[in-house]
Amino acid sequence: MSKSIKRSDVWVILPAYNEARYIGTVLQKLQPITRNIVVIDDGSTDKTAHFAQQQTEHVLRHLVNLGKGAAMKTGAEYAFGHLHAKAVIFFDSDDQHNPQELELFYRQLNTGAQMILGVRSFDENMPLTRIIMNRLASVIILLLFGAYIPDIPSGFKAFTRQVYKKIRWDAADYAVEIEIAARIAKQQIPFVTVPIETIYHDLDRGMSFLHTVRMITKILSWRLAL
Amino acid sequence: MSVFQVTAMLFALFMLYVVFLHQKRKVLGSTEASFWYSLWALFIILSLFPDLLEGITHLLSFERVFDVLVVSGMMVLTVIIFLTYFNQKSATKRFEESIRKIALEEKRKR
Repeated sequence: MSKSIKRSDVWVILPAYNEARYIGTVLQKLQPITRNIVVIDDGSTDKTAHFAQQQTEHVLRHLVNLGKGAAMKTGAEYAFGHLHAKAVIFFDSDDQHNPQELELFYRQLNTGAQMILGVRSFDENMPLTRIIMNRLASVIILLLFGAYIPDIPSGFKAFTRQVYKKIRWDAADYAVEIEIAARIAKQQIPFVTVPIETIYHDLDRGMSFLHTVRMITKILSWRLAL
Repeated sequence: MSVFQVTAMLFALFMLYVVFLHQKRKVLGSTEASFWYSLWALFIILSLFPDLLEGITHLLSFERVFDVLVVSGMMVLTVIIFLTYFNQKSATKRFEESIRKIALEEKRKR
């Protein structure tokens, strides 16, 4: 049985790029739940870092925009290396997640889970194209790596230090979520899922067709490399 | 002299100028610049005197000198593309690591 992890040893990481409009609100909503918050400003050209610094002291800044994967890696290294975190929870900074649902992750970490994936329900809130792409990604991972990982694009996930060592990703961009899924499946890392709310709003940035093509190429290359 | 030869020679002269500019801006070191000067000079010589390649054309069982040049050019291009790809990949990786390292160190200093 894995060791349980206390809430104080868990840090919430928010990768953020040009999220000045939402970051303040998101942090305000998070504050009553936890003070263990790290914001990675990924080279924003707006006031993301400024608003984040008003709410938390742990704000790291990339001088230029590298991508979500790189921001997540910086956050994980800072939390595990500098803050001695035992687990981290990734939380999107664009107000698409419900902070109350952090409790679900804390509970799972407390019961010894090592990898927790937030899974959105495919209801009427999720656009149809998203549902198709989402399912397709899971099926591709199942066919190539032998495990079904639900809702791969979800940015709400948690894992322990031990799991981070196993899944440390290379992708610097949006492909990070799918690389993490591929690594979980390939290494047969046990995971639990928790149901999370589906929130879409006007700032939601979808993936273009070109992104999808690049993603498929990357999955195939990981199949050979991982 | 054919139009093709004149075009090839003008192109090589232009490339010699590009090499000269990059050497002047210290983008290329003296060894690198010498290599590129020699390469384009050789290109000019071969454009003007393609018969110099007659021997090697028959040795490699090609019909025409032009075919040898096309195949050689494609091989050189392939090598350059591969090298550029690997260099770009490695540079991107180092760039990413540097930016992330700076972010972590800046935070630790504060």
